[in-house]
Amino acid sequence: MERFYFKNTFSYKILLVLQEYLTVFLTTLGQIVIMMGRVFKRIIKLDVDIKELIYQCARFGVSSLPITLSIVGMSSIIVATQVAGEMIKQGGGNYVGMFVSLLLVREEAVIMSGFAIIYMIGSSLASEIATMKVTDQINAMRVLKVDPIRYLFVPRILSGIIMMPLVVIVATLFGIIGGAVSSNLSSGLSYRAFFDSVWFGLYVRDMYISIFKAAVFGFVIALISCTAGYYASGGAKGVGDATTKAVVWSFIAIVFIDMIFAIAFFF
Amino acid sequence: MGIQVKNLVKEFDNKKVIDDISFSVNDGEILAIVGFSGSGKSTVLKLISGLLTQDSGEIITTGDIAMVFQYSALFDSLNVFDNISFALVERKDLRKKYTQTDLERVVKEKLELVGLSGIEDKFPSELSGGMQKRVSFARAIVTEPQIILYDEPTAGLDPISSTLIEDYIVRLKKETNAASIVVTHQMSTIKRTADKVIMLYNGKIVFAGTPEELQREETPYTKQFVNASLDGPMKMFAE
Ligand SMILES: Nc1ncnc2c1ncn2[C@@H]1O[C@H](COP(=O)(O)OP(=O)(O)OP(=O)(O)O)[C@@H](O)[C@H]1O
Ligand SMILES: [Mg+2]
Repeated sequence: MERFYFKNTFSYKILLVLQEYLTVFLTTLGQIVIMMGRVFKRIIKLDVDIKELIYQCARFGVSSLPITLSIVGMSSIIVATQVAGEMIKQGGGNYVGMFVSLLLVREEAVIMSGFAIIYMIGSSLASEIATMKVTDQINAMRVLKVDPIRYLFVPRILSGIIMMPLVVIVATLFGIIGGAVSSNLSSGLSYRAFFDSVWFGLYVRDMYISIFKAAVFGFVIALISCTAGYYASGGAKGVGDATTKAVVWSFIAIVFIDMIFAIAFFF
Repeated sequence: MGIQVKNLVKEFDNKKVIDDISFSVNDGEILAIVGFSGSGKSTVLKLISGLLTQDSGEIITTGDIAMVFQYSALFDSLNVFDNISFALVERKDLRKKYTQTDLERVVKEKLELVGLSGIEDKFPSELSGGMQKRVSFARAIVTEPQIILYDEPTAGLDPISSTLIEDYIVRLKKETNAASIVVTHQMSTIKRTADKVIMLYNGKIVFAGTPEELQREETPYTKQFVNASLDGPMKMFAE
């Protein structure tokens, strides 16, 4: 009787919901890890479809650059415009460039590009693969004895690792230039003063970390998105669910990884 | 040799969806599999094609296996040419064996076989359902398979397109001498294509015979199927 009573309690119902969440979480995590293993197995053997890889890299660059540049450029302008005047007033005009570029390189350019790429690339990878899954295209590929991991996943995931750092480098430069122009226009800070302090304040190490972090983000976003698509089931709704899952998981994953990076390198 | 299936069993969630079935299909023969929704027809094709693994039993096949999916499953980012030549270009053991001229010749030949010439540059979304299905036939037979599996090839098509598809199934059998299995709900498809028929219910074979025998309605099962009746031994919502 007591057991029966317990099952009616609110706490028990909450536990049930938590258990369900935990199951979904662990299942998804397992799927991602398994997919990572399969992909790496082929990469290590250099079993890569070069034609597809080049196509995916081009697609990554073309569809992500406009939005990434706009978002990173705008956030840099937002920061520089608000901070430049204040810093000059406090006698810190010589540090504006350093502040803006450090912020961009260490944090802003990578994470903002990450968000932009989740929306542009992650969602389209997930819905593309999910559609192929629920319409039996992936099964058709299997029956034709073509390995879907090699043909679909390896090129998409490698393109994330290769292209995301390039996109972040361009976005960072774009952001620094945006910061310089906006500090100049809003507070009359000279370009000379701005760029002198950029050179002064930037470390090579920061740039390496930024590039490495970008590669990790690109990898994680592509991996999560492809995996979410691959495990989709049940028609159009399944495609929608997979896309949402890809975006939410990628979002949480890159913020989490960003935190780990901050702790590991700057604590 | 064709296809030999012996004591096949497949469970999903502890429920036997395929429960100890055996049958065989010879080269140049077409077997129709019929049965209500959920009776395990697609599962049988997936087991034979290797998309699923059986829990027990044996499947013996020879040569390449081709499968035509219910909704064609053409690669929608590739045009008709790339769809049909896909296996020749991407399959590990065939990669780089075909020159561009070879590919063009093979694709043209396969398209002619399904009565569609000159549509190499079109994308699947630009084709009608019946044409997509025929392109998927062409894609399936590009590696000269000795086994062809069709999952509901005439579902969702108008009667005339269905007849056309049925004729191509018979034609492909004659051209390739493959052992074929056609999963279908349609009496017309059975009559026009099949040499023999099995009926599945609850994972078991409840009828095996020729299309003529099926139509004679000599058992409660065949009687119910042919008349599409709700009364009979097979319950749609049997749980
Ligand atoms: N991957 C799977 N996981 C769990 N159950 C499955 C799976 N695939 C099929 N089933 C179940 O197995 C049974 C047979 O499915 P199957 O698709 O083979 O039926 P079918 O005869 O082809 O039906 P239809 O005529 O609707 O296509 C169904 O009850 C289905 O729910
Ligand atoms: Mg089916």
